[in-house]
Amino acid sequence: MKGLILKKDNLVPLLRKIRKGGKLVAPVQNRHGDTLFEVIDDLDRQQLDLEHQAQSSLKPFFFPQNDPLATYNCAEDYSFEPVVSAEPTVYFGLRSCDLTAVLYMDVIFSQNGADTLYFARRKEAILISLGCNQPFAHCFCNNTGSGPFLEYGFDLQFTDLGDSFYVEADRARGEELLERWSYFFTPADEDDRKKQYQAVLEARSNFRRTVHVDPAVKRLAADPDLQPVWRELSDRCQDCGGCAYICPTCTCFTIVDQPLAETHGIRLRQWDSCTFSGFTRMAGGHNPVNHAEQAIRRRFLHKLKIDVEKHGRPSCVGCGRCVDICFGGVDMIRFIAMVNDLKLPAEEK
Amino acid sequence: MAEILTTCVYCGCGCGLYLRVENGRVTGSSPSRNHPVSQGNLCVKGWHIHEFIHSPRRLTRPLIRRKDKLVEVDWDEALDFTAESLARLKEKSGPDSIGLLSSAKCSNEENFLLQKFSRAVLGTNNIDHCARL
Amino acid sequence: MAGLATTFGSGAMTNSIEEIGRADVILVIGSNTTEAHPQVARRIFSALDRGSRLIVIDPRRTALARRADIHLQHRPGTDIPLLNCLMRLILDDNLHDDVFIEHRTENFNELRDMLYRLDPTEKAAVANVPPAQLKKAAELYGRANKAVICYCLGITQHICGTDNVQTIANLAMLTGNVEKEDTGVDPLRGQNNVQGACDMGALPGVFPGYQAVSNEAVRAEFSGAWGRDLPAEPGLTILDMTHGGGKTVKGMFIMGENPLLSDPTLEKVRNTLENLEFLAVSDIFPTETAELAHVVFPAASFAEKTGTFTNSERRVQMVRRAIEPIGECRTDSDIICALARRLGYEMNYESSAEIMEEIALLTPVYGGMYHDRLESSWGLQWPCFNRSHPGTVFLHKYNFARGRGCFVPAAHQMPGEQPDEEYPFLLMTGRVYHHYHTGAMTRAGNILNRESPEALLEINPVDAESLTLASGEMLNLATRRGTIKIRALISEQVAPGMLYTSFHFTEAPINLLTNAASDPKAKCPEYKICAAQLEKIN
Repeated sequence: MKGLILKKDNLVPLLRKIRKGGKLVAPVQNRHGDTLFEVIDDLDRQQLDLEHQAQSSLKPFFFPQNDPLATYNCAEDYSFEPVVSAEPTVYFGLRSCDLTAVLYMDVIFSQNGADTLYFARRKEAILISLGCNQPFAHCFCNNTGSGPFLEYGFDLQFTDLGDSFYVEADRARGEELLERWSYFFTPADEDDRKKQYQAVLEARSNFRRTVHVDPAVKRLAADPDLQPVWRELSDRCQDCGGCAYICPTCTCFTIVDQPLAETHGIRLRQWDSCTFSGFTRMAGGHNPVNHAEQAIRRRFLHKLKIDVEKHGRPSCVGCGRCVDICFGGVDMIRFIAMVNDLKLPAEEK
Repeated sequence: MAEILTTCVYCGCGCGLYLRVENGRVTGSSPSRNHPVSQGNLCVKGWHIHEFIHSPRRLTRPLIRRKDKLVEVDWDEALDFTAESLARLKEKSGPDSIGLLSSAKCSNEENFLLQKFSRAVLGTNNIDHCARL
Repeated sequence: MAGLATTFGSGAMTNSIEEIGRADVILVIGSNTTEAHPQVARRIFSALDRGSRLIVIDPRRTALARRADIHLQHRPGTDIPLLNCLMRLILDDNLHDDVFIEHRTENFNELRDMLYRLDPTEKAAVANVPPAQLKKAAELYGRANKAVICYCLGITQHICGTDNVQTIANLAMLTGNVEKEDTGVDPLRGQNNVQGACDMGALPGVFPGYQAVSNEAVRAEFSGAWGRDLPAEPGLTILDMTHGGGKTVKGMFIMGENPLLSDPTLEKVRNTLENLEFLAVSDIFPTETAELAHVVFPAASFAEKTGTFTNSERRVQMVRRAIEPIGECRTDSDIICALARRLGYEMNYESSAEIMEEIALLTPVYGGMYHDRLESSWGLQWPCFNRSHPGTVFLHKYNFARGRGCFVPAAHQMPGEQPDEEYPFLLMTGRVYHHYHTGAMTRAGNILNRESPEALLEINPVDAESLTLASGEMLNLATRRGTIKIRALISEQVAPGMLYTSFHFTEAPINLLTNAASDPKAKCPEYKICAAQLEKIN
């Protein structure tokens, strides 16, 4: 469809209208300077932040760290009630990488039958992304095919043109929104379209680094046994699990029953990390993935090899958050550089 | 849903972290990116700090020992009994027959109050905590 | 604490955590930093990535030791001979800082004379460290432009803990590595608010801000503010109370502590608590200690209250209420105030901010700490004397708190207990990464408990072989004070003859075994060393 133009002055009035139809979630800079996705209760008090990357992705909204699946009661009147909670929510201001990650989670949570809880929330969600004119410090979405702007997948995509936004819709729900609030928008003209295209081109040239994802993927497909790499990274790993928790596409979980009293409680789904030793430990104490080296190996191979084989693309969206978060520098950028620096066995001969 | 910035209660590093609150329950934690110590990351304990808050093992009602068993009572009874017992000891054996242990896990304000309680209310300097342990 | 207070005039970490990452040479002694203080380890790792050098002095080959340029795997309890030897080598190589010593310190001659009297080869042998490695370490530290020393409970929990700390301070002053940014001596605090509990005067001899109870002027000031006469004699320390058998004190109020798992020689603690005429406990969990109480108060957790904690780098920062107290829980402040009122003392505060205002009034180093200031910043580092004071990033800038730094030489002291024929192993205790202190909080968590479900006893492969032991086998571990059952983990982290385990697990309460022999000055028990024997359970 054709693009539309939204004057920046009209952004908050538009969001105020949108909020009336349900929850609104957007990046907010709090008084400590941290930028987080927050539920917007008060557009005048909460400071929208479209300048900085939010410190977490949208993952916790669709797949919370602790998610009640069911309540159970094992007294005489035995019961087991699934918990499903979802309300219509508009997510505004997510970046292309985070949107790509949600689309990726859609794939993961629809394997072996659709995940009820995830899709209950997903179906109520409208995703309005904001393309990145300026990448952030550790961004490399241009190398993972997930930004800085997207061609499809969004309900609406905003492009910052200075004093206005260029707005385009890809999905029906986005178009409905534009129709419902059409008086906020004016049609984009040829000049606007050029400006938008220019912004996309410039954004691509603004990346501070090139991360050679494709060569690393090829290299791993040919030979996944990179002992020196696993050894160094496992020496650096501090076993915090932060990389998996912060990663917008990591979706491993464990299930635990939490008693609230002797006869009743809740069943929770909890984030888990494949780098934890308890992730694979069996009841008898045996652990098929026993060494830190193997746990690191599994994590990176999963991201750049197994997921490529299964889903046709690496499960890294280039958001760079694992670079910020790691104590020991065991991040995707370092890993890819190390893989590409290794000589192939054939070259060594 | 709300994100509340607070300070980690595990080691002495003092990371700044957010507790995620949904429907009165703390459901997750995440690091503050700009906090001078945490600078965007937490250790494994910090990432799981919310797990103990709603543990079913938490004490939720005052208890008093009766016939070798701790039984639930209301607050007034527990407080009255404690105040009477402390007053009786002080009367009978002097303030220094009472000892208080404060905590390296409680806040500054609470530590301040307990030592004030010890010194001004009970009249003893027998107050310590596990710093040397 | 006592150690640094004597030499520098203040017992806290001299640096900010951030500075550690900017030092050229980092010396870590008696600290398993990666597991106990991950954020400090992270600064060390980033320093290494920038080319800084790392010296680790530890009887165990820890994860940090594996990444060190030099790891001195010394015999436990020989920190003083080892550090004295390092200082002697620095003197011999003329790497000490004459100007700093001359202008900023006192009592150097005494240290120098002591160092010249000792025989470095002999001391290296005592510590069981190759002399060549020691020499390398001396050169590395001695030549550093900016060097930082981090230490933790591996230094203080010894019979000679205070001397250990003073020796570390001697080394830093000898080379002029204090009073400047990115240099210093950093005791890493084990618990989130140890610093604050000390600052607030939860100690038998001092009011808030380390003002002595024996000082009449100080007492008069507090007495005026609180409207009561205050006792002048310093009180009993924790072990005087918990090992007193119910005779030193007859009644106790214990807030948020679990001495029946955390204190040494637990049998004595149990005996004491059982003999008390009255025991009240306030805690968030039904701890081992609470089970013996006459009254137990359900306390609110950190997520249910507002207040402040003071971290290792003296940063006072906000804790904020995220949810209402669960069940009928109340905050410890509410409990204390309610008790005070029942005892005829009016204690009323509308908020914890009001309590902080009283703290600021009475505690000079907290003089500028008000909740509204702490709310709008990342906290403030004490000393912070008034509202306009910006706080203090590193201590002793161009000037030690006590004026000049004082060298206090110390000689080697044998640990309270040595291995012998009957108890041939040397048992050390410490933390594991996934748990914290007595485990009350961490073990309530699903993932943390799964990652580290039970106590493991680390034993060297050589010893395991001679006992025909495999990892995972159950053992009886005994010392002169008791026996516990524990699972073996064969590990090269410990040297032959050494054993290591953690103290978080009530199923294997290691403090049944530990020695209560304590440092005479700091009264800190010798948790780190005791003699032990092993037996397989068939």
